[in-house]
Amino acid sequence: MNVSFELNGKQTTLEIEQRESLAEVLRGRCRLTGVKISCEAQVCGSCTVLVDDLPVSACTLLAYEVRGKRVTTIEGLADDSGRLHPLQQAFLDHFSFQCGYCTPGMILAAKALLDENSAATDAEIVAHMNGNLCRCTGYLPILKAIRQAANQLRGQK
Amino acid sequence: MTTLSRFEIHQPTCALEASQMLAHYGEEAGIYAGGTELLLAMKHSALNYRHLIDLKVVPGLNSIDMRNGSLEIGATSTHRSIERSPNVQQHQPALAEMESQVANVRVRATGTLGGNLCFAEPHSDPATLLLVLGGSVKIESAAGAREIPVSELIAGAYASNLQPGEILTKITVPSAKPTHRSAYMKFQIHERPTLGLGLWLDTPDEGRTFTSARVAVGCVCPFPTRGLNAEKLLTGSHADVEKRLSEAADAIADAADLLDDHEGSAEYKRHLIHVFLQRVFRKALGESLA
Amino acid sequence: MKPLSDFQIVNHSVPRGDGIPKVTGGAIYTSDMVVEHMAWAKVLRSPFARARILSIDASAAKAQPGVIDILTGYDLKGLQPYYGHGVKDHPLIAIGQVRFVGEPVAAVIAENELAAQEALGKINVDYEELDPILDVDTAMAEGTPRIHETDFADGSFRGFDDFPGAAGNICQAVHVGWGDVDAAFAKAAHIAEGEFYFPMVYAYAMEPYVAIADFDAKGHLTVYTSGQHPFMVRHDVAHVFRLPLNSVRIIVPYIGGGYGSKSYTKIEPLVAACSWKSGRPVKLQLSVEEAFLTTRGDDARVRIRTAVDARGHLVARQATIHLNTGAYAENSPMVCRKAANRIVGPYRIPNIKIDCFAVYTNTVPASSYRGLGGAQVTFPGESQMDELAEMSGSDPVEFRLKNLAHSGESIHPGMRPIDADIPGDIREAAKMLRMDRPLAPGHGRSVCCSASDAGAHPVTLAMVQVYADGAVSVLSGSTEIGQGSHTVLTQIAAEEMGVPLEKVRLIGSDTAVTLFERSTGASRTTTLMGRAVLEACREAIAQIKVMAEEVFAVDADKLVEERGGLRHGGKFLTWANILEQYFKMEGCSIVGRAYLRKAGDLTLVPVFWEIGVVGVEIALDEETGKICLDSLVTIGDVGLAIHPAMTEGQDLGAATMGLGAGLFEELIYDGQQLMNGTMLEYRVPRFSDLAKNIDMKLVQNRDGVGPYGAKGGGEGAVNPISPCIANALYRATGARIRTLPLTPERVWKALQEKKGAAPR
Repeated sequence: MNVSFELNGKQTTLEIEQRESLAEVLRGRCRLTGVKISCEAQVCGSCTVLVDDLPVSACTLLAYEVRGKRVTTIEGLADDSGRLHPLQQAFLDHFSFQCGYCTPGMILAAKALLDENSAATDAEIVAHMNGNLCRCTGYLPILKAIRQAANQLRGQK
Repeated sequence: MTTLSRFEIHQPTCALEASQMLAHYGEEAGIYAGGTELLLAMKHSALNYRHLIDLKVVPGLNSIDMRNGSLEIGATSTHRSIERSPNVQQHQPALAEMESQVANVRVRATGTLGGNLCFAEPHSDPATLLLVLGGSVKIESAAGAREIPVSELIAGAYASNLQPGEILTKITVPSAKPTHRSAYMKFQIHERPTLGLGLWLDTPDEGRTFTSARVAVGCVCPFPTRGLNAEKLLTGSHADVEKRLSEAADAIADAADLLDDHEGSAEYKRHLIHVFLQRVFRKALGESLA
Repeated sequence: MKPLSDFQIVNHSVPRGDGIPKVTGGAIYTSDMVVEHMAWAKVLRSPFARARILSIDASAAKAQPGVIDILTGYDLKGLQPYYGHGVKDHPLIAIGQVRFVGEPVAAVIAENELAAQEALGKINVDYEELDPILDVDTAMAEGTPRIHETDFADGSFRGFDDFPGAAGNICQAVHVGWGDVDAAFAKAAHIAEGEFYFPMVYAYAMEPYVAIADFDAKGHLTVYTSGQHPFMVRHDVAHVFRLPLNSVRIIVPYIGGGYGSKSYTKIEPLVAACSWKSGRPVKLQLSVEEAFLTTRGDDARVRIRTAVDARGHLVARQATIHLNTGAYAENSPMVCRKAANRIVGPYRIPNIKIDCFAVYTNTVPASSYRGLGGAQVTFPGESQMDELAEMSGSDPVEFRLKNLAHSGESIHPGMRPIDADIPGDIREAAKMLRMDRPLAPGHGRSVCCSASDAGAHPVTLAMVQVYADGAVSVLSGSTEIGQGSHTVLTQIAAEEMGVPLEKVRLIGSDTAVTLFERSTGASRTTTLMGRAVLEACREAIAQIKVMAEEVFAVDADKLVEERGGLRHGGKFLTWANILEQYFKMEGCSIVGRAYLRKAGDLTLVPVFWEIGVVGVEIALDEETGKICLDSLVTIGDVGLAIHPAMTEGQDLGAATMGLGAGLFEELIYDGQQLMNGTMLEYRVPRFSDLAKNIDMKLVQNRDGVGPYGAKGGGEGAVNPISPCIANALYRATGARIRTLPLTPERVWKALQEKKGAAPR
């Protein structure tokens, strides 16, 4: 079947199989390999993408579900001039990753939170991010980055 | 990546058509309401449906309304939409709070309450709370519609009492009255909770006496279970009830088929019921848990 | 030695070299790669822990649409199908027998993943089940059959000299000792004695094992892999296919986590055999659930006793360690060696007797896990330090200070003396944790330490290319596994060559291009590869100085080296200027190289002592038994932090990994079946486990053999965390638990026993 959706700001129509996950389509067909696959059980969050601004597990969401919706992957976060999103910059500034495998999902999950609530407290950040696993950093650098980006995004408002 | 085998998605226009599709394809078909549990089970070949009937496209099934003193929650309402619904927050805050803590943000964004109840995963949160809030479900099929309490929907672990061709379309939850006190708490070690405990109390006098009580436990047993004997112990004066909490906890544990598994021994789970009945009681009454 | 203030790039937290790709999705991991005409493989796994394979009928599977070929143990004629850097006991796919549930029995090669996956169900394997040997005691009991019926040849990269296990199911035995323990115990004032258990753990690298293998028309083999030791993989694969080393090219792009689990060879021989059989490039991407069935950490039972004299000095330690090594040796012989060494701890102990056995069982093969035996033995060792402190009536910190080896003192006869200030580190950690504050109910504090003989065997070769336009490339065989090697190595080159960091590019981990580096592990990369890069830069500079005599038309002794080039009077030329004027041609570059080996100041083992020093304050929910971290402090005694922020990041990451095994992580077998081999059931630390207060400090005494006095980090803090929590729990409750993880239920039961009440 055909699905039409907005992918990282561009209207896109793809021929898909109904059984295909969004992760298969994005990684395989669109070569958006920032969508990472790990637990395949909606536990780890490494495949997190935003669908209509909400974080979802692309490994367990059918591509069929994004008909008429907006899909954002990590590749769509920097602006057209290549300027990084404040979260991306904050992750660089705080060394919020090591292997980097969880990073796209972390950044997108955090973006969903800050888009909704850029005044999130630490407790709210932890509650929101608790479904995204990182095996390298011990989380503190990620928390610091989200705080920094939240500050910056509040400043822009 | 583990890939799903081929299947066909069908888009019914109404619940009746969905029911007809389900009847038509029989065992080869399943209702697709959110997919969080279903697709996982299909990936592992625990389920092998060739046809998925997409209930989410049926108009009106994701609405959340207040009608006749009750919340009417469409089966395909996501956990997130229930958590965020002003109606739910206002009229049944314990439900909104429980929904805000289901699994993680991604599961809440796609998983639906109807799907959750029908899938009957033993470690899920909602059914346990709905048991004490007096929730009921509307079930539709070509043969007509019926409404049953949530307790009658539950048949066992991963098993509901839906008959072939039947579809759960709506969850009804009576709104909280000023005399009601309710809370849900869980204890979590792994990804899925080890214990879920829901408590509902009716107190005409700001918590000095309890005229009626409902309590249910989940996760420690194959399916969420009411502690009917415990409920009797939870009525009476605050002081008496407080004294009987330990006895009530044992009654809950006795009612549930406590499992010895890698979440914990039955003995430990019984102990947790004791701890959390104390806590959920205080929480329901708005007392500090510190 | 160059003062810290003179460094312009080294010792600064510069942006990560892999930063932009990793925050934009541009970083390519093996799992993201596709090659032209590539086929996919999927693996059929054994449902039995121990069984003979009587027959395999794959004809129906082979007839499935999209299926190209099937590989089984019957197809390996002409190959040397058993591999292993330590013991060549591991068939690339089961041959005649299976030895654990999950062992690969057949691989389907198909045009796509779905076709391969669906064909798996069409393969019929006829097994004759045998009684599985699932635990160490059964495996070692008299009369138990051997899991491996033959003796296998030693691999060439054992890394140490001990003989493999004598017979039976002992894969490796290591004995460490000095002095006379019996005499010392007989005279001791106090003896702590107990049996401890460290659980079976899974590293959960978020990128599961993946490889692409491609035999080309000339018979050369290229493998892209998520493996962290490309040269070890090359060795094994070349052996299997009887290829010369230059016919095997192993390329390692970014790696999605390893923590030891991606060390040495994993699925590469199997994938290469799929390509060899099918004539196609083949990709095999395991799921996490399959990764659970590929490698785990050795669980350890440690019977240990430690003695002190009346003045509170340690006089003896004796331990018997049994490691459950699973079905194949993998790197467990080395884990065995290291566990035996590391249980001594960073203390002066005059009498030692350690017997350590790695034992085969019919479970998932165990191998390297961060800390390599250190976490398994620091738990008992440091638990007993607190027990002995109490028996001696000492404060645990003071008791440690009395017994810790100082810098320059030896803890293992014949090994490198301690090259760190461990007493200073412990004092600092105690200060940061503010040990003197009163404790809230349910709270307890502890500070623990460990010393690991780190660095592995020092053979590390590196090249730098210095270009006439001012650019520099570092060619390094170390992999970027997240530890930041690509950043640190470019920092060193930029510092030495006097060029901006942006001018330095790292070319990494391609065995056809980069020189031999034994491994990326044992915390060695900064120390050894960092030093090799530094020396390679100096060697390039030495070459340029010779050229400069011609360019400047003066003798070398008249030229003064300044940052980035040479000066003669008022004339300064950069290294690049000199190259340009020497060759009089654009685009030229020269190569500087360094070959480190076990010689000179790298003769003594270990390359360096890796120190772990942590402190915790726990907050216990006494009703449920759940432990949370109120405070965590770490000390990184790293000589010099080439990149301070990333170095601290390694400490926090290692401490957090240690927290996992301390509190929740454990693979659970029910009979022959692994019960919790999914991320729904295997619990790793998450955001909400973050300690409320975290304080990290780096100690930079420049006392290592690495560049500028640097030493490695990243595996220290993982070791002392679990005893630290157990000791803090003891402080809070008086309950001493000797089995990990400290799950709520285990803690609750211990508290019940402590209260004397039978558990309800």
